[in-house]
Parts: sequence; structure tokens; C-alpha cells
Amino acid sequence: MRSEKTTTAPYPVQTNFIEILSRSRARLNHMDSIGRKGAEEGGCGVTGFISSIPVRGRHIYEPSFQMHNRGNGKGGGIAAVGLSPESLGVDQDVLDTHYLLQIAFLDQGCRSGLEESGIASCMEIHKAERVPTVDDFREIDGLSVKPPDVWRYFVRVKPDVLDRFAVENTIETMNPKKVEDEFIYQNSNRINHQYYASLGEQKAFVLSHGRNMMIFKIVGYAEQVAQYYLLEDFKAHGWIAHQRYPTKGRVWHPGGAHPFIGMHEALVHNGDFANYHAVCEYLKQNNIYPQFLTDTEVSVLLFDLLNRTFGYPMEYIFEAMAPTTEYDFDLLPPDKQRIYRYIQSAHIHSSPDGPWFFIIARNDVDHHAFQLIGITDTSMLRPQVFALQEGEVQIGLVCSEKQAIDATLQSLSQEDKRFGSIADKYWNARGGSATDGGAFIFTVADTDSGGDGKKLTCTNKFGEAVRTNGHQNGFHGSAEAFPVKETKTISTAVAKGVKGKSTGWFKAHILEQLASWDYASLVHACRELENHALENDSAKTNAIDILTHLNDRRYSTGDKKRSSVLQIVRESLSSIFAASPKLTDKAPGAYRYIDWSLRNTLRGPEAGEKVLIVCARQFPPEGEDCDARLICRAYRMGWKRFICYGYRGQRFCGCGLAAGSDGVRIDVYDSSGDYLASGIDGLEIVVHNNAQDQLGQILKRGKLVIYGDVGQTFMYGAKGGEVYVMGNAAGRPLINAVGSPRVVINGTCLDYLAESFMAGDPLSGGGFVVLNGIRFDEDGRVVDLTVPYPGSNLFSLASGGAIYVRDPFRKIVSSQLNGGELVDLSHEDWELILPYLKENERLFGISVEKDLLTVKGIRKECLHVYRKVRAIPLQVLAKASISAEEWGEEWRSEVIEAA
Amino acid sequence: MNEMEQRIHRFSLSEAVETPSRFRHAIGKYIIYRNSKCISCGLCSTLCPYGVHPRYDTFSLPLRPKSHKCIGFTCKKNEFYCIDRCPEKALTLRLNPILDTLGDYRWSPEMLIGHWEMAETGRLPAGDLEYHLGYSRGGFDKIRFKIPHPNSFLDIPDEEVDMGIDLNKRKDSRPRIRISIPCYGGGMSYGSTALSVMVGRARAASRLNTLTCTGEGGYPRELTPYSRHVITQVATGLFGVREETILHAPVVEFKYAQGAKPGLGGHLLGDKVTPEVAAIRETVVGNALFSPFPFHSVYSVEDHKKHVDWIKEINPEALVSVKVSTPTDVDMVAVGSYYAGAHIIHLDGSYGGTGAAPDIAKKNIAMPIEYAVPKVHRFMTDEGVRDDICLIASGGIRNAMDVAKAIALGADGAVIGTAELVALECVRCGNCESGRGCARGIATTDPELGHLITEDWAERRIVNMYTAWRKQWCELLRQFGMRSIRQLRGRSDLLVHLDYLEEEERLKYAPAPNAKMVI
Repeated sequence: MRSEKTTTAPYPVQTNFIEILSRSRARLNHMDSIGRKGAEEGGCGVTGFISSIPVRGRHIYEPSFQMHNRGNGKGGGIAAVGLSPESLGVDQDVLDTHYLLQIAFLDQGCRSGLEESGIASCMEIHKAERVPTVDDFREIDGLSVKPPDVWRYFVRVKPDVLDRFAVENTIETMNPKKVEDEFIYQNSNRINHQYYASLGEQKAFVLSHGRNMMIFKIVGYAEQVAQYYLLEDFKAHGWIAHQRYPTKGRVWHPGGAHPFIGMHEALVHNGDFANYHAVCEYLKQNNIYPQFLTDTEVSVLLFDLLNRTFGYPMEYIFEAMAPTTEYDFDLLPPDKQRIYRYIQSAHIHSSPDGPWFFIIARNDVDHHAFQLIGITDTSMLRPQVFALQEGEVQIGLVCSEKQAIDATLQSLSQEDKRFGSIADKYWNARGGSATDGGAFIFTVADTDSGGDGKKLTCTNKFGEAVRTNGHQNGFHGSAEAFPVKETKTISTAVAKGVKGKSTGWFKAHILEQLASWDYASLVHACRELENHALENDSAKTNAIDILTHLNDRRYSTGDKKRSSVLQIVRESLSSIFAASPKLTDKAPGAYRYIDWSLRNTLRGPEAGEKVLIVCARQFPPEGEDCDARLICRAYRMGWKRFICYGYRGQRFCGCGLAAGSDGVRIDVYDSSGDYLASGIDGLEIVVHNNAQDQLGQILKRGKLVIYGDVGQTFMYGAKGGEVYVMGNAAGRPLINAVGSPRVVINGTCLDYLAESFMAGDPLSGGGFVVLNGIRFDEDGRVVDLTVPYPGSNLFSLASGGAIYVRDPFRKIVSSQLNGGELVDLSHEDWELILPYLKENERLFGISVEKDLLTVKGIRKECLHVYRKVRAIPLQVLAKASISAEEWGEEWRSEVIEAA
Repeated sequence: MNEMEQRIHRFSLSEAVETPSRFRHAIGKYIIYRNSKCISCGLCSTLCPYGVHPRYDTFSLPLRPKSHKCIGFTCKKNEFYCIDRCPEKALTLRLNPILDTLGDYRWSPEMLIGHWEMAETGRLPAGDLEYHLGYSRGGFDKIRFKIPHPNSFLDIPDEEVDMGIDLNKRKDSRPRIRISIPCYGGGMSYGSTALSVMVGRARAASRLNTLTCTGEGGYPRELTPYSRHVITQVATGLFGVREETILHAPVVEFKYAQGAKPGLGGHLLGDKVTPEVAAIRETVVGNALFSPFPFHSVYSVEDHKKHVDWIKEINPEALVSVKVSTPTDVDMVAVGSYYAGAHIIHLDGSYGGTGAAPDIAKKNIAMPIEYAVPKVHRFMTDEGVRDDICLIASGGIRNAMDVAKAIALGADGAVIGTAELVALECVRCGNCESGRGCARGIATTDPELGHLITEDWAERRIVNMYTAWRKQWCELLRQFGMRSIRQLRGRSDLLVHLDYLEEEERLKYAPAPNAKMVI
């Protein structure tokens, strides 16, 4: 066995290698694939995570299953990096040094021929085996097409073959590792060309060929990959999965499923870019020809070109793929601008355009690290959520939907208590942003101290670390093991809090105490609350109220992790909910419980019954039997108060109750799904967690409160409503909103806030958005964001309404606007928004006086803190002053009266 | 289908009610002049069976001739040819010079005049009008039905020919809606057309047992009595779309794109945004309204599925129609929509569009509908799902024969927009975008111009036009020996395209009209 230098060899980077490699690749056979695209596919479901310790493949099962409705079962794939040598039957050294070649055979007959010509003739095979599978694919529920037989080979290129290859291509002076990579790459290309061509016969194809990584794909769902190839107990650091939604043809093919390979990386993609042909043309200039004809393959080929051939650092690769433009570009330091300008002039025509989102799992061979990378497009057209959990073990996650992240963590935490079921940090990103670049790398590498352990770090595009509060400890589910010091005091206080008329003082008390408590005390307090909740309805109401307060508010958690505190609080809430009497129970009380198994027992409320608790867990996320339909039926039967929990992304909560649903309130706990509160007309929905995408679409009237962040296209086409968001909104909130929506967003938005806003004049009944530009620090204190609005498009092409932005340092500039104008606040404006800020204070504890109007410790005049962005009538859009001249100033009131 | 159902769906022909033009001088192909030599003998009045020469019994002088009813020079062979019989030779007959400037290459002047006549009488035009073919020299104007074999003729009355089509072919729990003619009305919003036009269309739809569509501009209260026949459109601007309007609707239509202007979205000019329009859309008076091109919440097929699921969740009784334009991969789009749960795929080809669609876009972006329909039909058939989906064609389907051709190419039915407006005397001047000033009071939100049309009148005109169309379909089906319009679906073997025929064969068919117009 050949040894290998462990450090990056000091080989010169010769620019002419680029040309040499390109010439070399030109000699490969290729089909004329330019201008042809195989499958059309829109979006899909993608998920990935990487952990500092190897974890079993079964944990990709839950998030994949959760995202069934993002795929159609016609293509699923899984990739793993940082594999465990035991499961593969080789030693660590082989795993590190050898290429792990995986070939899918659709036609068994060609195996010996392929092995002879494509492998044995040029490679030393350390080990070859058929990847074990279940005996009969029909054992796996729902799998209808037999997955390909996969053979796995641990190989190195024969030295003489490699030398000859180097001489032929005049790359003798190149790093031999790179030469070998290139040989493997070209060899796989040859195999694919001979045995698999999208336009011809399809007998076998290379699944993956990188070091210490592997890919599987089938016609089916991603989790079936794990089942069929027995990966459920297979351990690896990083896993990514993809649910595909191809729409072409009855015959689907595993070759078209994701992930696709570059060299040592696997890429999954959600989206569909508009300039597939342009990117193909660019690759063609570099003698790279796609073989599988999907835009995903093209993406990874582009990544590989930038990475391995051009040798770009990761930052420049991101810039080439998702360029920094507009206002963001202006915010960059001059030296970055200079470099980025070069990158853009070379690459902007080949950067994917349109909706896309990549997750890449990668073995960074040069640095002995494994990476999970998420890159978002510059318009944020695809949903994406990043998450990070630190502590004794660390994990980074990237998914299409937040609930898939939660599902992964729940699955992990059940097996290993070192993982919590809630991440420490969740965030969305915007491609090409000047603050973080919209791309993040989770890197698992050896710890600095040496030893076997590995450590996960997260960095953004610019190499800045993304961290959570590192000094805090996680909760590992063993609080009982510790003695509770102040049992008595806590019990007394809880009893007093639960039994009192108002829970106000106790809520304040517990928030003060909590920082100094240990986990045992907190668990004890929660258990006490649970016990009291069983006593009577008023105690239960109070207990729910208190726990909900702990769940919703931001406060100092001392040396405890906030995510762990939330985990404990939510478990308590769930157990209180679950312990409520069922609809069939005879027990008296205001609360009634229903879940999937009891769904047929639904009936109207009887005397004294007020609150219907819906456990959404087992319900399908959409369709005739979904929980949102159950809520509609229950509402028609007379229920008005709902508590819904146990969500795993179930959609459409609150939709379908129609007009006149005033007085209805739905409290939503856990990972609620898309389209929540879309179209509501009267009711109130309170989301006690972060919310997902497309909330409040066409929202007409009613109230929506979100104790967290909210996802993409929030309140698209909304007509009204009173809405409070504790955190941020992602991309494109309030696009095309009309009427009189009144929204307070305490954080910020990624971009395109209130584009084409048409909500009249806020001072005479129209709509507006208050953007506070603040966040909570680790101790629950309100602090200013660096900029209240980072995007380049604020209130673009709006013809009505206004944005009231808290901008004490005048950081918003007019170049961020497109059609609007920045003006000073008037007293009328302040009187208009003040009641909403007061309600905001009541809900979230964000004080108008102490937080919003106090800037750097000094109480300021409201008119100096807030600014107004209003619409200016554009000549192209409106006849000048038509409303005044032709219809009179009072047209709106007249019309309203007439109606 | 059993006999019971057959009876239910048997169409009772509406009594056509003569509904003359609102204007004093309706436009016809011919003009008759009466000069001063007239002695008021009244002979012409007694001769003409078409009522060209009205005359009060108590008053000797005939009124000014109703030229638009004249059948023209073909009358010469008749005993009653007034020009020859006039004892004083006081009458002259000429082609109406307006023909040179009326209409356009797709909607030829004769097609317009023919449809006005159908809308007036409910019968097929009596004169020598070419109302099936326009001057476009392509598209449906070059496609013909083959000359049927005389033996295949099926001698059944119109009442027994079934024109119904099913909108829900999925085997799901939603209502099985059958409409009685193979057409329904296209979306035209409150704002783009006058309220009386909208209500008239809805009333006609309910009398014909078919549907009409709100377009993207809200659901005026005046439509609620006809709500079983009104589609709610959910388009990219989401104007006026509320849960209530979704709950009303038997069918909810997603408008992803319009064939006349794919990639451009909707645009209502500021001038049309009157207080009423602004109120229903909850926007600012006088400000142009744009519907963005894409749905901001839908950038891929799984987003689309989610969108469809949302509507289905709100209204468990509604069918979902997906209106898309015709890009080259329209087959993928269609099959993707099918798998996402749509009941109706509505393909909007490139020929459609009123004056509000930019000229540069019309006919220049999307694939012509006669290519898109068979492409999708075949693809869905190969996929084995064709019988689970209702495929509807639109975009420049002008007349009864265009509908039949689209069905023979593979559609189940068609959506009609412009033709309904033509029934209301639209002259295709193409100035719909120029503000409220539609000279005919159709595409206007101006309160005064809107009074030019009453709901009754609009309803009757549209019913009349479809009644006349139905006669043409019946005739066609009889000739091919079919009892139901559903038998015609996908029978592209019955069609020929003039460009692909041998010269000799081609001569058997009427040539495509080829006129140069003054536009």
C-alpha cells in the first residue's frame, strides 16, 4: 500500500493546468447533449445534516418521510460522508486513502465486462463487494421498482497507469493526488458514457467515486434507499437525502435521481434554473458535458470545475454561483468589491439563475474534514432553513422545511440524549447578501487537541464563525439524577402561581428565577405544573398559561441552553395536553382531547366544554383527512377554542373557516406547517414557535401572532388583519398586499418586503408594516440589529400603504427603495402605530419606552427613532392625482359607505 | 351511462329570443341604399323574407333598410330579389365598405358579422358569410374536417345529440360536474369588463348549464345568485380572492399564465381603477394594478401541489382547474399538474388576448394551441392518465368549428372569451387597454358607458350565440355518425391541414381565405 502525505503538498498551482485539464477532458467521448434536457423537475425536498459524531442512517428516515409531499416517489437518493470503517469492513487507512467506487448495475450481464475494462485494467482493487440489500424489494412498503444492484470497490489507480496518464497529459508536476482524482473522474465519465447515456442504453452507471463518501439512488422515496440498502444502522458523520418530484414520463430512472457527484462531493438540489442551457454552454467551453441531463448534475459539474480545476476557495465558488449584487455589493469593503467584480465578470453568465437551493456533502480531502454546505439563490425562491446545535456533540442541519430539522433532531435525541430535540439556532439565508453571503459551511474536523474526537464548526461565506452560546450546558434527560435543592420553595411558588387569580406575578417570578435554576429545578417546577394541571380546569388553564409564557418569551436561561429549556417546557405542555379528557370520556371539564385515532369521535361541544385540544401528530399534512379539515368540521359543530400541538409540518391550519369566524382562537404549538392562517377572516391564531412558509396568504381579517420567525412569502396578497411577528420574516413578505393589513415585525426581512404594496393610505384606514429591526440577545434583552433592513428592495413599486421602520441611526438609504420615498414621521403616524406597538409590548415584552424608544441607553423622541417609507405616485402607473381630480378626495369613504 | 342520466343531461334547447343590436345601424356585410326615386309602394317590404325592409302598416314609406339582415348578391336568383323587382329601380346593393377596416386577420369582418347575427337570432347566418375561417393563413384557418363519408350520416334530431362534457374525471370524492356544452366562459375580471357584462355572462352560463369565470378582480355580489355557475379565479395578484369566494365556487381556477402574454402577468391600467374597482380589489384608485408573473409562493411543482392542496382544504367540494400557457414543455406542465391533484388542465394558447395584452407578446411567445393540445393529449394518453383529467383548450378559439377542431385534436372542451364579447357587439378594435373608453360599453368600468349594456340583453345574446353554435356541432357530429361530442375527442384522424395535402386533394376543400386588410 502506498503511503500518502498527510499535509497538502507544496505543489505549485499552475494556471496552465486549467488548460491542460480542459484539453485532457476534451478527449473524452461525449454525446451532444447541449440543448437537451432530460427530466423537467421543479422543486423537491432536500435535507441534510452533519454531526461531530457518526450517526446512523436511520436518522435520515424521519426527515425524508416528513417531506414525502415534496416528492412523488419517483426518485430518491441518499449520500453519506465520513463513513465508519467497521460497517464497510475495511480499516480507517484504506477508507481515507482509497477511492470508494460505487456502481449501480441495472443489467447484471455487463458487470464482468465493466469491471474488467473500467476497473481492473487500471486500478488496484483492495476490496470489491456487492452492497447488501434486503432480500426482496417488495418487503419495503411502497417500493414498486427494483432498485439497482450496487457494487462497491475500494480502489487506487495503478502507479504505472497513473504515471502514463500524467505524462500523456503533461501534468507530471501536478500534485499526484489531484492527478489521481482527475484519472478517477475521467474514468467514471468513460464508464458512464459506455454503459449509461441518457440518450441511449442504460446498463450501469457510477453512483459515486470520491473518498470516504458514497451515494445511493433509486426510483422511490429517499428513506426507502436506507431501508433497501440496509443503511439504517450504518454510521456516518454526514447524511443528505433528496425526494424528487420529476414529472416526465412513466419510466423513471434511478440515474436521474439526486445526489449527483463531482469528485469528493455529493450535491442535492431543490429548484429548477432558468439558464440550464447557458450553464451547459459554459461547461462546454471547458470541455465538460453532462451525461444525465438534469440541472442538478450541471450544478455539481460547475462546482467541481470551480473547485478542483480552477482551485477557487469556497468563498469565490459561492460568489460565482450566487453573486453579490445591488445594494449588497455597495456594502462590501473595496478590496472584496474588486475581487468580486472579477469573479462576476468571469462567471455571472454561468451562475444558476432562478429558483435553486443546493446542499452539498463533501469530503474535504486536503484538510481532513467533512463538510455540509448549503447555498441559497439570490432571490430566495426556494425554501430553506439552517440550524445548529452545539454542546458535547454538535450537529448542523440544512433542510427545505424546518419541521424536517425538528424531525431529525427528535429522531437523534431518542437514540442519543446528547442531542437535544430542538436546535440552538435556526436561520434563513439570502444568497449574495453582504452580511453572511447566504451560504454556510458546517465543517467536521479533528479537534485541535488531537485525539480521536471531532468538532463541528459553522462558518458563513466570508469565513465568519456562526456560533451559539457556547458556555451553556445542554440537558441530557437525566434531571432526576440530581437532587433538587429548593424543592419546597419551588413547589410552594408553583402552587401559589397556579392557584392565584392571575398568573402574572408568577410568570414574572419564574422568569427571574430561571437563570439561577439548574435543570433539576426547572424539571421539578414543570412536573409540579403538570400535576396541578390535573387537579381542575382553572389550574390547568394557569399551568398552560405559565408554560406557554416560558415557551414564548425570551429571557436569560443562565448556564442552561435555551433549546434545552424549551425542550423541557414543551414536553410538559404536551403531557398536559395529552392528559386532557377525550371526547368520549365522561369526565367533566372545559378541555377535550382529540387525535388521529379518535378523529371519528368528533362531536360538538357539550355544556361546559370550551377548548378542543387537537394532537396533530398522526394526521396527514394535507388532503381530505388532514387536521385542518377536522378543525373546520369542529368549528361548524360549535367549537371556538382550539389548542393544536404535536405538529410535524401539517399544513393549512386555520384555513377554511370562512368569514365571520370572529371569536375563534387557535393556539398552535410545535412545528406547524405551510399556509397557516391563509385566508382567515375573523379568527385569531397564535403560533407558539417559529412558523413556516406562505403564512397568511390572502389573509382578510383577524389576528395572527407568531412567537418566532416566519418563513417565505408571508402574507402574500393579504387584504387585512392584525399581525405580530416576534422575530424575522424571510424573503418576500407582504407582496401584493392590499386593503389594510397592519403588521409589526420586530426583527427584519431578508428582502423584497412589501413589493407592490397597494394598501391605501395608512392614515385613513390603509395598511402598513412596522419594522423594528431588533433582536433578543442571549439574556433576553432587546438589542438593535446591525441594519434594520439588509435587502436591496424595500417597498418596491408600491402604490399605497407605508413602512414604519425603526432606524435611529438612519441606516436605510434611498437606493434600497424602488419607487418609495423616505420621510420623517409625523405625529399622526406615531399615534397610528402606537396602539400596535403597545399590543406588541403586551405580547412579546418588547417595551415601547424602554426598548424601542431607548437608543443606546438614551430615551429618544419617537420621531427621531422611526422613519416612514411611503409610496410616491409613479407617472407610469397612475394618472397624476386622478383620484383627487376625478373622484374627489373622499372616494374611499364614499365607497365604503355605499357598500 | 344509463338512460336516467342521459335524460338529465339531455339539453333542452333554449328558446332563442330575438335580441337585436343596441345600435340603430347594425353592421352587416352588405348595404342597401334607397334613393329618392322610391314611391313608397311597399313592394320590397312584402317581398323580403329577411325583414330588410321594415314598414309600419299604417305608414306607407318603408323605414331605412336593415341592411345587416340582407343576404346580398346570392339573393339575385330569388324571386323576391328586391333590387330587380323594385319598379322604380330605387334600390342599390353594395358590399359594405366597412369590411376593409373591420376586425383583424384572426377575427375577419365576416366572422364578426356572422357572430353578431347568431347572437341576435340564435340561428345560423342566412347569408353567404364565412364565419368559420379567418384570414390568418395558419392555425385553425388551415385545419379542416375531412369530408365525411355519406354513409356515416346519423339521422337524429339535435335534441338527441349529447354536448355534455365532464369536468371531474378523477376518481375522487368531489362532485362530478357535467356541463351541457363543451365550452365555458373565460376569466374576465371586474375591472376589465363592465359589471353588466359579467352578470350577463353568468346568467347565460346558468341558463346553458355551463360556467363562467370571475377573472382576477374579485367576486362582485351581483354574481352570487349564479354562484353554482361561476368559477373563482385565483391568479397571481390574488386580487379580490377571499376564502369566501373560494367557498362559493364549484370550480377554482389557478391562473398561472395567459397564452396571450406568458411571463408578463396581468395589468389593469390606472384609468380603469375606478373607486368601485379599487374597492373590490382593496387597492388605490387610479393606480395601475399588476399581477406578478409567477405566484410568489409557487416556484416549483411541489409548491404547486401545496397550492392546490390549500384550495382543496378550504373547499372540499370544489374542483381545481389549472390554467397554464403553452411553453414547449407544456406536456410536462400538464402531467405535473395532474399529479398535483388538478381536475382540469386548461391550456391557453397564443392566439387569444384582448387589446389589453401587448401586441409584441400576442402570438409571439406561447406555442400555438393546435400544437399544444395534441402534444398534451398524446402525452397524457401514453402516461395512462388521459381519462382521469379534463383537458380544456383556449386562446383564440373563435367559433363553433374551432371548438370542434380543438376537441378533435384532443381537448375535452374549450374556454371562450373573446367570442362572448363579440356576441355583445365587440368590434375587435383592440383598444381595451386604452382606459375606460370602450366604444361598445363592454371592456369598461365607466359607469355611463356601462349602461350601454343590460344584463338581460347580454344574457340573451350569449345564449343565442351558443344556441347557434350547438346547431353547428350537431350537424358536424351527425355527419360523422356520432351521438356525443365526447366521441369526437382526440379524433385528429378526422382532420386535415391544407398545407400537408396533395394539390389535388387540397382542391376539395375551401381554400383558406386570404384577404389583405386595412388595419
